[in-house]
Amino acid sequence: MNIETTRFGTVTVADDRVMDFPKGLLGFSKYRHYVLIESGDTTGKGTAQESYFWWLQSVDVPELAFIVTDPSLFVSGYSVPVHADQLASMGIASMDEAQVFVIVNKIDQTLTGNLQGPLVVNVQERRGEQLVLSDRRFTTRVPLMEVPAAIAAPVVAVQAPVESAVAVA
Amino acid sequence: MLVLSRQRDETIMIGDDVEITVVDVRGDKVRLGINAPRSIQVHRKEVYDAIKRENTAASNVQIDDLPSLDAQARRESPRS
Repeated sequence: MNIETTRFGTVTVADDRVMDFPKGLLGFSKYRHYVLIESGDTTGKGTAQESYFWWLQSVDVPELAFIVTDPSLFVSGYSVPVHADQLASMGIASMDEAQVFVIVNKIDQTLTGNLQGPLVVNVQERRGEQLVLSDRRFTTRVPLMEVPAAIAAPVVAVQAPVESAVAVA
Repeated sequence: MLVLSRQRDETIMIGDDVEITVVDVRGDKVRLGINAPRSIQVHRKEVYDAIKRENTAASNVQIDDLPSLDAQARRESPRS
């Protein structure tokens, strides 16, 4: 299927790559369907290197997309406590069957992760949910890394559609 | 909004399986006890609102906010 996006132009993904968030994300409850796009592909180089960041792109709304990452790449000792009943409601027997992502924001030159509101995805069924953790050690803005100030680039280059954008598992 | 008066140790039911009991009232602070199935998430509203706000803020991140992101992460990540 083809997905219209404001950031990447038209992106073609296999139908079975679409993830369903039945409750949406907090603040975006109307929009249920997302695909993952490797952030590396936004360069248009189409390299097969492992990505640390992905775009969680809405299928329903072209301009709605989030940067997400695997928090374990940056934060040690982070785990998402999920009760058995909650696992069952997500259709999984244990967290081994789930992939955890956190949404990334940029505050000045710091990339932060929302560790208080992780996304838990049932890998098999491609169904996800945003959880709310009460553990106060994990906030909505945990610093992950610093990025250098952006070098001013021609606007034209940023808007060029990326034909090689590919959704990943 | 439905408004109910309850005294200490009195309970209201929401649906068949959510119970909210007034455990204690002291000054302007009310302590509530909540019995609900684990599949229903119960949290202070401020936490929900904080996550909602952060989602909204993060949805404004654009491609050019993140130059060569992966390349830099590979250098900095403890696992790389």
